[in-house]
Amino acid sequence: MFKITRFLKTISSIGHGLIVFMILFLLALLIRQAPLSIKNSIVSSALTTIFYPAQRLISSIDDFYGKSAENELLKKENAELRIEVYKAKEGLQELIRLHELVRFDDKWDYPIITARVVGRNPGRFLTTVVINRGINHGLKEEMPVFSMRGLVGKTSKVEANHASVQLLVDPNLKLSVMGKRTRAVGFLESVNAYHLSVLIPTSAGMKVGDTLITSGLGGIFPKGIEVGLVKKIHKADLEVMRDMEVVPFQEFSFLEEVFVMQKEPNWIVQEMLK
Amino acid sequence: MWQWIRFPLLFVIAVLMQTTVSKWIRVFDIGPDFILIFIVLIALRRGPAIGALWGFFAGFVLDVYAPVEWLGAHTLSMLVLGFVVGQLEERFLTLNLGMKIGILGLGFFICDIVYFIAIGIEVKELFNLLFTQTLPDSLYTMLCGGIAFKFIFTGNLKHKHV
Repeated sequence: MFKITRFLKTISSIGHGLIVFMILFLLALLIRQAPLSIKNSIVSSALTTIFYPAQRLISSIDDFYGKSAENELLKKENAELRIEVYKAKEGLQELIRLHELVRFDDKWDYPIITARVVGRNPGRFLTTVVINRGINHGLKEEMPVFSMRGLVGKTSKVEANHASVQLLVDPNLKLSVMGKRTRAVGFLESVNAYHLSVLIPTSAGMKVGDTLITSGLGGIFPKGIEVGLVKKIHKADLEVMRDMEVVPFQEFSFLEEVFVMQKEPNWIVQEMLK
Repeated sequence: MWQWIRFPLLFVIAVLMQTTVSKWIRVFDIGPDFILIFIVLIALRRGPAIGALWGFFAGFVLDVYAPVEWLGAHTLSMLVLGFVVGQLEERFLTLNLGMKIGILGLGFFICDIVYFIAIGIEVKELFNLLFTQTLPDSLYTMLCGGIAFKFIFTGNLKHKHV
């Protein structure tokens, strides 16, 4: 043990750490250039063996903060209810919320699974969250995930009791959307894991403030889930197209609960488009 | 014993803060990067080899949650950060608080530039991101890093390094 430590110290001191750096640099380049299947297996094994248990700890701390904030809110709410008990204000709000949920379910006629967000990627660019539902709860890959505010993303990697949700800002998630007012169809994507943009023909007459919804094309997301608002409109490389910046309805940093629609992808649609 | 668990413990704290505290203190979608503060701290105290090792490890942790196609990008950027900042190791240089905060800010830009290049961002988009994302985030991180350097680690700087 002592010899190994001494050897490592000697190696690390040579060239002021240059050898260690070169070895690690080559290793990082190998990982970067590895085929997608190898990358997938690296991520998958790392997630199942180390990261999910660690995420439990992190989410419990997050929960503690959340519970404390929730507790404060409930105390305040309780005080308000004592004064305004006859108005049953909070009960009414709850009823409205439940009505919205019921409408969601009726509209698409797919079973809905509620899930809690128990983890998120620790980097600055949030592209993935982990939820506490998995295969055991009926989840599969490529199922739509949404919140009360709008579309969140889709399930990507599904384990027994956990699943990763690919958020809309993930550059690998491309989505067909349409203007709620204009019905013009476009392609929503994020090129930098931060901004969302959509390309829609100029002739559609989209304006700043227009709402975008899922178009139902592509086979994964059903038609009509609200996605976001058009924030800015730029000229695209092609004169006939407009590049629009989109602000999603759901702020991903503050996701706590999501709904997973048990809708399996309709790959026939995609096959027919080929 | 403390010597062995100190940095892993600090890393766990940094990850915990990045996934919890960072979210709570975000302002206008601008937040600090505690993991980067950790890497800069390690590199300044222990030099380029240890800095690079921790940078590699921390970058890999970030990569696991990033889009799988980008696997290795954080690893590369954090590795370069650890190695470059490690060249200014405190064993050989005397750095005051202002210089450390400056190095933290510079390191932030180096890390982001390497990261953006590694994921294949176009040059035009790169400058846009550096201005709209990296600059405000780095300023916030410098503020948090300054507090960390000032109040948490001042006492230990006088210790003899191995």
